[in-house]
Amino acid sequence: MRLTCPLCGERDRREFYYYGAEDYLHRPSEGAPLSEWDSYLHLRDNVAGVVRDLWYHEAGCAQWLVVTRNTVTHEISGVELVAERAK
Amino acid sequence: MRYSGLKVITEGLFGNRGWTPAWRDPAPKAEYDVVIIGGGGHGLATAYYLAKNHGITNVAVLEKGYLGSGNIGRNTTIVRANYFLPGNSEFYSHSLKLWEGLEAELNYNVMHSQRGLINLFHSDGQRDAFVRRGNAMINQGDDAILLDREGVREHLPYLDFDNTRFPIYGGLLHPRGGTARHDAVAWGYARGADRRGVDLIQNCEVTGIDIEGGVVRGVQTTRGAIRARRVGIVVAGRSSQVAAMAGMRLPIESHVLQAFVTEGLKPVINHVVSFGMGHFYISQSDKGGLVFGGDLDFYASYAARGNLPMVEHVMEAGMTLMPMIGRAKVLRSWGGIMDMTPDGSPIIDRTHVEGLFIDCGWNYGGFKAVPASGWCMAHLMATGEPHEVARKFRLDRFATGHLLDEEGTGSQHNLH
Amino acid sequence: MPDLIAKSALEGRSLALGGVTLAEVDPGPITSIALYPGGTKTAAKGLRTLGLAMPGPNSFIEKKGARIVWTGREQAFLIGVAPPAIEGAALTDQSDGWAVLALSGVAAVEVLARLVPVDLRLAACPVGTALRTQVNHMNAVILRTGDYGFEILVFRSMARTAWHEIENAMHMVQARAGTKI
Ligand SMILES: Cc1cc2nc3c(=O)[nH]c(=O)nc-3n(C[C@H](O)[C@H](O)[C@H](O)COP(=O)(O)OP(=O)(O)OC[C@H]3O[C@@H](n4cnc5c(N)ncnc54)[C@H](O)[C@@H]3O)c2cc1C
Ligand SMILES: [Zn+2]
Repeated sequence: MRLTCPLCGERDRREFYYYGAEDYLHRPSEGAPLSEWDSYLHLRDNVAGVVRDLWYHEAGCAQWLVVTRNTVTHEISGVELVAERAK
Repeated sequence: MRYSGLKVITEGLFGNRGWTPAWRDPAPKAEYDVVIIGGGGHGLATAYYLAKNHGITNVAVLEKGYLGSGNIGRNTTIVRANYFLPGNSEFYSHSLKLWEGLEAELNYNVMHSQRGLINLFHSDGQRDAFVRRGNAMINQGDDAILLDREGVREHLPYLDFDNTRFPIYGGLLHPRGGTARHDAVAWGYARGADRRGVDLIQNCEVTGIDIEGGVVRGVQTTRGAIRARRVGIVVAGRSSQVAAMAGMRLPIESHVLQAFVTEGLKPVINHVVSFGMGHFYISQSDKGGLVFGGDLDFYASYAARGNLPMVEHVMEAGMTLMPMIGRAKVLRSWGGIMDMTPDGSPIIDRTHVEGLFIDCGWNYGGFKAVPASGWCMAHLMATGEPHEVARKFRLDRFATGHLLDEEGTGSQHNLH
Repeated sequence: MPDLIAKSALEGRSLALGGVTLAEVDPGPITSIALYPGGTKTAAKGLRTLGLAMPGPNSFIEKKGARIVWTGREQAFLIGVAPPAIEGAALTDQSDGWAVLALSGVAAVEVLARLVPVDLRLAACPVGTALRTQVNHMNAVILRTGDYGFEILVFRSMARTAWHEIENAMHMVQARAGTKI
């Protein structure tokens, strides 16, 4: 599996650390009900197909990335910088 | 047909013409008392104990592929009861006791071999942790023996004891730990369930769950609709998809775990050995192949195959621990899809739908759990109440904060 | 204040094998420049005094003994000179944190091919390329300094491990030289 980092280019999977579903980007606001925290931390759609999840270019540019990929075929269809997305 | 040594001999003398299929191949009926979705180890064991312990025999197990096509036929077969946390300890202890009587119970050779499991440690801190774990195991009524470096050397002289990064300080020996033949366990339970009247229906994928007014009514399948008053979801790596049919979002992420086997060799590794620091474990199958594995590939996946960096990592870890295995040739590698929970412990519980139950979240340790999971899931489905050794495996424990985090690695699904 | 003697991680060691040379080099000062949000313009002004600019991804620029190496998003290492006054960026002295190894020779690229999971052949990695990647399992910054030359920055605490890995790879490449596959 190879991922194309928007900064570093096409790199081997071993350079990246997988964190989890994109859900981790949507932190509940302060004072949100417990069920929202449960959902944010634990519950997942866990789709067999196209998903968006968070990876860290640990051995490269040290950027957090949102990766769009297929969990059945391992095909990667998009990689974006979390930092640029927030702007 | 009862299996026995005499039967094997007589059949051998008469051309093996007298054997009959181990189970029937029935067409699905329109209605059952209980439908179990998933014909893996846990689903088959649940059906068996529903019939055996509770007299509920109007049961169907619906399997989308063939029996044993999932993780039950893909694991590295380690059976142990060396858990630490209350909640897990009593459950796996119960499971190991069931294992010890399983062959007689099922009249089936599952090749359960209590060859002993040795978990190595490599620092004073790790030794302390293993002393604590060993005491917890003994308190639970299971066995544990702390070995020092020389004690380990007596059992495992072939290890590299002087590795600079992870010198071996000792190990925790769990003599009753060992292995079993994985698909024989599925076949044994399948045959046992079939003989008690359970319908095992293969090539039958569940595509929908029928719910009316909060009560389960049955399932939709590729072989038609089947009505049932009680339905159990027991589909391991596919739990999220099937639960979604009932509108549920589970605390599960599915990950791929790889394993490897070498060509057959003469007996050389007599135990199950685990090297936690290198994420590596190994045993030798009765056929002679060295069976070994390591960590998850680490990213969510439904592809039953892994990627090369983990292959390399596992080989490196193996060579670090026991340089001699560099001489063996790897024959095959494969992967299975693991239902990972945020605390590494399983779920056996009711759901928000009346009559719908779920058994999932086995991470990569669900093979040893097969007997107790079937036992407890059957108890839950038959009586509506959790079995006492599985009462902490609640679906809502994440929301309420009652996690069973055996490894203490936090709520990230792939870290368990 | 006692007079402390600066020592490099590998005491300037060097090794030649099969036409490839590995040597520790003294890069001079290393300063990390990390832009503050909105600091692009003022930082560019500071760097202009050296005739340099923030480099684009995967590249480095050299001017009169001063080198500026891309090390990440809005981040670079200034190597070889003391930093000028720069506004709009956080400057951190990292001189002691790194060991720098120069690897040169026709087969240098084959040595690194055994350790680095990126295509380093000249066509894919021309002179002036700077990559953050790995040397075996160690994080590193790799600079393509010449058609047959690389410089490799590794954490100082891993200098001897890096040396060991590269030396092993050099032995293997040497052993294979002339072998038809
Ligand atoms: C490489 C590897 C090594 C492992 N090593 C060990 C070990 O050493 N010790 C240990 O204790 N555990 C181990 N495990 C874990 C263990 O194998 C699993 O936790 C356990 O087998 C899961 O339960 P199961 O047997 O019921 O799963 P499976 O056998 O996967 O059963 C689930 C079944 O559900 C079926 N299904 C899915 N969706 C549907 C549907 N919609 N309709 C109908 N049927 C459906 C699937 O086809 C499958 O047959 C390992 C796993 C792997 C992959
Ligand atoms: Zn990158």
